[in-house]
Amino acid sequence: MKSRGWAVLAAWCLALAAAAIAVDEKLVISADLRLFMPAPRDAAQRLVVRSVGESPASRLLLLELKGEPAARLSELSKALAGSLARSPEFEFVANGSETPRFPESLLPYRYLITDAFDAASLTTELPRALEDRRHDLTSPLGSFIEEWLPRDPTLELLRLAERWQPHREPKRVGGVWFTRDEKRALLVAATRAAAFDTAGQARALDDLNARLREVKGATRATLGINGAGYYARIIRDRTQSEATWFGIAATIGLVALLWFAYRRFRFALLGALPLVSGALAGLAAVGFLFGSVHGITLAFGFTLIGVAQDYPVHLFSHLRATESPYATARRVWPPLLTGVASTCIAYLAFLVSGVTGLAQLACLTVTGLVVAALTTRFALPSLVGADPEVVERFPALGRIDIASARLPRPAALLAVFPLSFAAALAFAPGAFWEDDLSRVTPVPPALLRADAELRSELATPDLRTLAVVSGPTEQAVLEDLEALEPELARAIEAGHIAAADHAARYLPSEALQRRRQQALPDETSLRATLAAATQNSDFEPDAFEPFIADVARARVAPLLTRTAFRGTPFDLRISSALFARDGEWHALVSFYDVKDAGALATQLGRVDNLTLLDLKRASEELVSSQRTYIIACLGVATALLVIVISLALRRASRVLRVLAPMVLTTLLIITVLRAAGVSLNLFHLISLILAAGLGLDYALFFEHSAADAGERRRTLHALLVCAISTLLVFAMLAFSSTPILRAIGVTVSIGVLSNFFLALLVARERA
Amino acid sequence: MSREPPVSIPFREYRFSRVLKRPASASGMLEYRADGVLVRDVELPYRERTLVSGEGVILQREGRAERRFPLERAPQLRVLLEGFRALLDGRLSTLRNDFTVRLDEAGRGWTITLTPLDATLARRLTALRIDGTGDQPTCLEIAMPDGASYTLLGPTPRVRDVPTRAELEATCRTPLAAP
Repeated sequence: MKSRGWAVLAAWCLALAAAAIAVDEKLVISADLRLFMPAPRDAAQRLVVRSVGESPASRLLLLELKGEPAARLSELSKALAGSLARSPEFEFVANGSETPRFPESLLPYRYLITDAFDAASLTTELPRALEDRRHDLTSPLGSFIEEWLPRDPTLELLRLAERWQPHREPKRVGGVWFTRDEKRALLVAATRAAAFDTAGQARALDDLNARLREVKGATRATLGINGAGYYARIIRDRTQSEATWFGIAATIGLVALLWFAYRRFRFALLGALPLVSGALAGLAAVGFLFGSVHGITLAFGFTLIGVAQDYPVHLFSHLRATESPYATARRVWPPLLTGVASTCIAYLAFLVSGVTGLAQLACLTVTGLVVAALTTRFALPSLVGADPEVVERFPALGRIDIASARLPRPAALLAVFPLSFAAALAFAPGAFWEDDLSRVTPVPPALLRADAELRSELATPDLRTLAVVSGPTEQAVLEDLEALEPELARAIEAGHIAAADHAARYLPSEALQRRRQQALPDETSLRATLAAATQNSDFEPDAFEPFIADVARARVAPLLTRTAFRGTPFDLRISSALFARDGEWHALVSFYDVKDAGALATQLGRVDNLTLLDLKRASEELVSSQRTYIIACLGVATALLVIVISLALRRASRVLRVLAPMVLTTLLIITVLRAAGVSLNLFHLISLILAAGLGLDYALFFEHSAADAGERRRTLHALLVCAISTLLVFAMLAFSSTPILRAIGVTVSIGVLSNFFLALLVARERA
Repeated sequence: MSREPPVSIPFREYRFSRVLKRPASASGMLEYRADGVLVRDVELPYRERTLVSGEGVILQREGRAERRFPLERAPQLRVLLEGFRALLDGRLSTLRNDFTVRLDEAGRGWTITLTPLDATLARRLTALRIDGTGDQPTCLEIAMPDGASYTLLGPTPRVRDVPTRAELEATCRTPLAAP
């Protein structure tokens, strides 16, 4: 290398280091699963997406203590709950030991929240209530109501507590929640940090584990954690540790391969230059445009290795002793440029896919590939120096070239691909497309199962059927919910559902509160009613002063708003069931034990402003409509790609030879996956595009090389190095613990093998 | 005083409370059924049936909807009722988990005093006292911070219509005081 080359290299490396520091400082790695979810298109789909990442419920961690006898576990549960209640990282914790207490400041509001006096007024109901309380005193419950009697003679608090109680609660052992088999104690904790605030979730989880260690002492109890925040953490940790290991292994493998292929350590180092430059430029572009990058995007993005790593290989393998490196770079540029342009076109389809994660991936890939290609074309030639032809060292290449040229190539054999594809479409088990959103998210299925099981133990509302009431204002929505009550009562009566819950049960509309306020008796008439009722009873006439005071306060109190519930367990319930979005208010009505969803739909279908949601179907529709859109985008991209190739190659027979390997390989991959019973998802689509891009590159170079024997051997050398290096990376991905990465690894590995051989046999013109 | 169920016994309860100007009373039959359910039938001055089981309390009152109080949600009530049932079954060792137990005896008369260990329960219940003669319980007293309840057991309660607490205490202690 000349001194000018060293200067360029040094300057380049400095620039890369500076870029790396900038990227590292700027770029936030996100674990927000929604980045990989399709963009919602209607209210139902928006809810599906919201329920995954944004809702207060998504901040819930479901905890289970196990590994000790039930008595010990219930003590641990109490100790852990007590400790977590003091933690700054957690908003609230529940283990069943205490029913949520009505805050003291809200006590007078019970007369505005209760529906007990909507039909008959408090003054009408009071004498009867006093008679009941007198009898309650001489019953086994007497000692428990006596304390509240002077303040709450109608037992309104008890009534509200019963109404607010979850329809079904988990089993209790020693006063705390347990699974039905009494082997695991259950707790629920809400983190202050949002589900996908990985730093906040990490703090909360560390705090939780520290508190557990402190509480459990020498016992053998273990803690199981479930919840969106925990998944985000797991995914991040896994992606990071796997990315690190794969990165190290891939680097060692590639350096070894490059050394073996060129016997020049320098080449191994220079070979990394376009890739590193491309990756850094891609990351910088994503950071600039999106602010954060998803861990999965990052993992995908590094599959760029498979494509960008090929560019310097083409340059190195085609170097000739008789030619300056610049001339070589100019010579390999046309097929290289065609390959880059077509791959970029395919990835551009993702840029407009509406899935943020995919758009990020497109941005990362397109920027990375363009920069890597430009680096190869304009920077590498000044660095490689003159070199004898590398292929001279591999006499075997000539033999392979001749042997492969002699192989029989009956065109009819190609019909096997579409035929087996058709057979796979017709006979393969399972659905062609995977519509279950939960399987498309990178959350390990075992965790999702554990989550579902815990939710069922905790008797949470039905996860599939949900109603949404929408309106222009919070008050309008609350009034609609109140109007819905008779319908809900009928649905419960008819047995369609066992119970329902919504925000207006905690926070009545202002109109209703005002009506209730006006219906409350003034102090004089309340005193008169009490005096009349106690006159001939056993009660002291002045026993109920606290009650009179509460009613008087309720009559003039400012109306109850949601802010009054702040800091109470009811806050979470209200804010997750009543929220504004895009200028509209929505309230969720949740159902318990849905027995007949069809009948419920028929009954509630008549209600204005109400949409009954089938969340599972909504999420499936979300996925499939998204896929249709992406496939349409890919269709357009394919058309553009054919146009680009046609413009570059100008002859129909050449275009056909170049496109054939890629098309046939796509058919083969789908055939193999479907025959193995795999349902295809978005990530398979991404992998198919990647494989197609590789196939196109192989075909372009083989096609380009056809004329000259030396050139053919150089191309064969280059493409062998390309294929092996790509296979190295993706075969490694095929062993990933993340199902998605595994799917990509398998798909692309098949693609590389098939593309290479098809390109070798089909794209090359007969000598 | 362990008995083989079913057993039944008439009762008359007097309830003293700061919210009451005179003691409230109720009388009827107490039955400990073979299935372990304690049935408390009030006959006068109103009709009511209370069923106490391990699951909870069910209150049935004439002309009113049935009320249910699952014990899961009322741990203190559970302690009290479990204690009571342990007493009926003569399981004193079970009682010692939740109460300090004291037994005073004089001749054929005896008094068992239970003081709750749980602080939350103790706020509502000062002590539970059962008086008896021989194998016959005669009186159940529940002492509370703001009141008390005296349940006289047996066929012939020997008290005035509106007794004072002192008179009831005296009546309950009589067997113990007697030689």
